[in-house]
Amino acid sequence: MENIKLIINFLGQLLPAINITLIVSVSSIILGSLLGLLLAAARLSESVVLRVLASVYVSVVRATPAIIMIFVVYYGMPMLFNDWFHTNIDGWNRMYFVIIALTVLFSAPVSEIMRSAYESIAKGQMEAGLMVGMTPFQTLYRIILPQAFVVALPNFANSVINLLKEGALTFTIGVVDMVAKAQMIVANNSGGYAWQTYCALALIYWVISLAIDKGVSQVEKSYQAKRKTIAV
Amino acid sequence: MSLNTDFMVKVAQTAIQGVPVTLQIVLVALVIAFPIGILFALIRIYRVKGLQRLVQFYVSLVRGTPIIAQILIVYSAFPSLLNMIIGRAAFAINPIYYAYIVFTLNAIATLTEVFRSALQTVDKGQMEAGLMVGMQPRQTFWRIILPQALISALPNIANTTLYLIKNSSLAFIMSVKDITAIAKTEAAFNYNFLEAYLVVWVYYLIICYAAEVVFYLLERYFSKYRRPIKKTSGFNWLPFGIKQPKLERKQS
Repeated sequence: MENIKLIINFLGQLLPAINITLIVSVSSIILGSLLGLLLAAARLSESVVLRVLASVYVSVVRATPAIIMIFVVYYGMPMLFNDWFHTNIDGWNRMYFVIIALTVLFSAPVSEIMRSAYESIAKGQMEAGLMVGMTPFQTLYRIILPQAFVVALPNFANSVINLLKEGALTFTIGVVDMVAKAQMIVANNSGGYAWQTYCALALIYWVISLAIDKGVSQVEKSYQAKRKTIAV
Repeated sequence: MSLNTDFMVKVAQTAIQGVPVTLQIVLVALVIAFPIGILFALIRIYRVKGLQRLVQFYVSLVRGTPIIAQILIVYSAFPSLLNMIIGRAAFAINPIYYAYIVFTLNAIATLTEVFRSALQTVDKGQMEAGLMVGMQPRQTFWRIILPQALISALPNIANTTLYLIKNSSLAFIMSVKDITAIAKTEAAFNYNFLEAYLVVWVYYLIICYAAEVVFYLLERYFSKYRRPIKKTSGFNWLPFGIKQPKLERKQS
């Protein structure tokens, strides 16, 4: 009973730090999706060079641990900028480095998801759209994308949850997010109540991922319902 | 770029001692989680009362929380828990055991989902056919269903393995001496962090690609039965001829 009280108390102390986590996750989801879109387009393009480059990029990123990516970006980018552009970016907010690292990490699975969703739509759909006089872009936008979206959604949500969990590593380069906050609380209590604090932390993450899961399955259901009514 | 190459060579030599530790964590986690994952998947599929809810809860809890949080919980809760049972000896335990616990718990959760979807891909007719020829339900499961399910689970098991290899890099938080930890301590002497992490990155790439190759070979070996016996060249060399190319017939 006392433990539960403690956990609730720690929840209250941890929650203010959630906005860092959310800012980092949301911005890397947006940027990562854009990069993933470009990568998927490269994978599907005619040019052999682009295809090879994109697939090498995806397979390398897929095999990179999140923490190594964050560290390499954090220590490597300032050096790179110094040498190539002669600008000093040491003073940047550390959050930017995390966002860049997570964007790179997120773009690889997302590009795969987008590609497989695009390929899962029958070619006849595109041809039919072109047949009735739509431009290729219109066909893509009105016919292919809505269908591919439904296919991609569950996997996309899965990657978002993965990104959220990888985002918990932000603290390793000194951004004060929820994990860092939890460690501070433990340090303030001189090591006491450690597991209760971390349980509160895990609880917050769990609730966020449950919410994403639930939301996605709701959206999926609504789409399926729409599809049925059209079919009938 | 001015990378300190001498230092990179030195880190590469010392960090190689961490490779067995990383592999050990991954292998132990996989080996322990394998049977438990199958068991949990069966509980989910056959909807065993009471237990099913528990398994569902466990899987969603482990998959919904970051590994770092799990590591922190286990690393903070277990030593004091053990302290109550076996006394001061609890603090002398090699931290790698905590790493085993965390990654095994993780692997169980992911493998449960993997086996659940794999067992569902096996057609119901297989079970019925097995029962039909007079096998026991248990026999049918062991001899007919499980081998087929395992083969269709292989790509996902490969993914799980990659996921474990990648996340085992977090074991340094528990002061386990794995690749990342060794590189980190080496780098801390004179702030050559970038060089050290580049070396570690290469190590992880090598390990991950090796694992992928192993699983690719396993998959090719075990899915032999699915490939057609007829060998088709896949390319029609006589596109305009009336005669179709001869297809080689190969015995099994």
